[in-house]
Amino acid sequence: MATVESRTAYWEQAKEQGFDLSWLEKLREHVAGEGVEEQSANDTGRVQGSIPRGDVARFGAYTFRTKSEVWAHNLTKLYEEFITRQWSSATDIPWETIQPLPDDIEAAQCQLATFFTQVEFIASDVPGRFISTMSPDYQEVRLALLAQVMDESRHLDVFRKRALANGGGLMRMIDSVSDVVGGSTDNAREFTEFSSRLHITGEGNVLTLFRLGEMMAYNEAEKAIYRRCAQDEARHVAIGVLHLRYMNEFAPERRDEIHCYLDEGESRQATGAGGENPAGQSQLTSGALAMLLGGGKDKVDEGQKILMAIRQRQTKEYFQRLKSAGFDDRIHNGRVNPALLEQYKAAA
Amino acid sequence: MALEEEQQQSGEEADPQSSRTGTSPEAAIDRFSWMNDTLEWGVRAQPGKRGLTMRDLNVGSYGEVPESSSDMSRRPRGAFPISGIPRTDLYALSAKVDLWADNAVDLYEEAIQRRWMGHLEIAWEEITPQPYEYELAMRQLCTELAQQASIETDLIGQWLHKMNYAYHEVKTFLASEIFDTGRHYTIFRHRALHNGGSLGLESAGQFNRRMMETRPGWTEVSVFLYLVRGPLTLLLYRFGEAYARNKADQLLFRKCMEDKTRHMAYGMAHVRYAVENQPEGFGLGLSNLMRGVERDLVRDLNDPVLWEALAIIIGGSVENIAGGMAVVEDLKQRYIEDYLRRMQWAGINKTEANLSPDLAVFLRREETAPSGD
Repeated sequence: MATVESRTAYWEQAKEQGFDLSWLEKLREHVAGEGVEEQSANDTGRVQGSIPRGDVARFGAYTFRTKSEVWAHNLTKLYEEFITRQWSSATDIPWETIQPLPDDIEAAQCQLATFFTQVEFIASDVPGRFISTMSPDYQEVRLALLAQVMDESRHLDVFRKRALANGGGLMRMIDSVSDVVGGSTDNAREFTEFSSRLHITGEGNVLTLFRLGEMMAYNEAEKAIYRRCAQDEARHVAIGVLHLRYMNEFAPERRDEIHCYLDEGESRQATGAGGENPAGQSQLTSGALAMLLGGGKDKVDEGQKILMAIRQRQTKEYFQRLKSAGFDDRIHNGRVNPALLEQYKAAA
Repeated sequence: MALEEEQQQSGEEADPQSSRTGTSPEAAIDRFSWMNDTLEWGVRAQPGKRGLTMRDLNVGSYGEVPESSSDMSRRPRGAFPISGIPRTDLYALSAKVDLWADNAVDLYEEAIQRRWMGHLEIAWEEITPQPYEYELAMRQLCTELAQQASIETDLIGQWLHKMNYAYHEVKTFLASEIFDTGRHYTIFRHRALHNGGSLGLESAGQFNRRMMETRPGWTEVSVFLYLVRGPLTLLLYRFGEAYARNKADQLLFRKCMEDKTRHMAYGMAHVRYAVENQPEGFGLGLSNLMRGVERDLVRDLNDPVLWEALAIIIGGSVENIAGGMAVVEDLKQRYIEDYLRRMQWAGINKTEANLSPDLAVFLRREETAPSGD
């Protein structure tokens, strides 16, 4: 092993040969900083913790460069789970278990699959937009979002596969934007607004439904689809809960603003506006769901009763998320949407 | 179709369910009207030996990929359209020629099948402390590669949401690519910090800037990302594997190489498709565009940091850096040759004759040319 003296000698020798090696000196002296900066001055896309150079043009123009705008604790752990629990829609779903179904049931499955195919487009496009607008100093958040984009792509893929696998086809597209109260998930320009709307409300509702997938499934393939999608969706919801929890702790001055986002989300959940909740009232998909839950076209009303119970469960789980994130004061202080509160009480 | 017949029947006869609930027959018809709304019914995509792949779904009208799409409502391709739907987004990339590659659909499935887990599959404990200078150089190389991956994340992130869902095969493939870039970032950063290290200097950055600031289209970005940057990244992975001192490092570079090869397969196929299907002169335009781009590239290739780090890794120490640098010069030469080959394959007339003279230097033709005596 080279001694410090001999090293110095041949470093000098190398420099005499024309090598620069100044970077090596910098690396030798560099001590990794601790933690993530509250403000990011990174405009060159450098890796968080790397040594900045003075001669690199700035091209980052990242919109989000403040930790408290985007951060959440434990995202690294969550990201590892994203990596570990990837699956294949081609080979991990037992497609061979799908058998011909009555036309009404097949149509309902296909309508629901069409809905999920389309709604996953939103869940993929919108997080994707935020990735490149966020400083790489907050890479943990970017990683969670890009992993979500991957999951959502697989979801749109698996539901398209379901629609086309069993003698059916894609059905009616959804109207996902009209009659929206306040801003839509699509239009959110602010990360917390986006996250509360997509992760907490939108995907939260879908998660409840996926968890109850056994009730809508008519074969092992469908059960596997819902089960696997539920696992993925739980991670997406976790991004939102972890972020809101962080905001509650470290940006309490924004609590009122966040409550406004939640107001809007609840209004949509209560009325079905926005069309993102397949179990929502007056939705095309709620008809299909009722058919699946009841067991056929002639049992839709029985299905509707189960659907009502599902809506109550969606609300119950939403309230649990509020509690977990530290925003459950709205449940007790009269701010929460009255229709949801009623559902919650009915479910208790 | 059977559904239509059923609907007609339910319209003619009072639905017992609706009469029980007091719903009129007309309302009952409306209630189930969606059951008629399909453009093609009776599809039964069959799984093949690789399972039920996305390509298997491209049957009948569902497999018809439009040359352009004016749909801004995210209607899944082949879903039943309804009128009066407001536009949800303005997809700037709504023409097939702007993003398509025939192989994207298969590469997406391949990406899923060949997924791997850096934090579990790499035997990190095998990466024991190496001689000091080698370790510093390795940190520098890994910092550079982590940044390359991160820039790729940014780049795809900038464009992915602008792509119309009529081309979901490409969007899902690029989602898998962005996922890969996240993994590459993570493992190279992890490798740099392994053994109690810290990160090295940020990239020289000129070419990163060029890619990030490119606005005309995804095809131009693809040329830069897959035909210019891609071959370099791939070579760095190759050399990383070849000069690795343990199996863990070897595997790490090899796995990344597999991913990168897949990314480039899409990118090259797309650029070729664009050149073949855009109006005449498009390929010439891309070739002309490269004049300035190549000067950016020269600046990065002359920056000593990455190359000296690589020379130390290859040589094993600063003492042997000159020997290592000879190999690095070979790498640079191979890189430029590879760049030319890939451009030509894609239909862009880029040759040694029209290469930027500063870049042509890296081909070292005068060193290898016969003396003529």
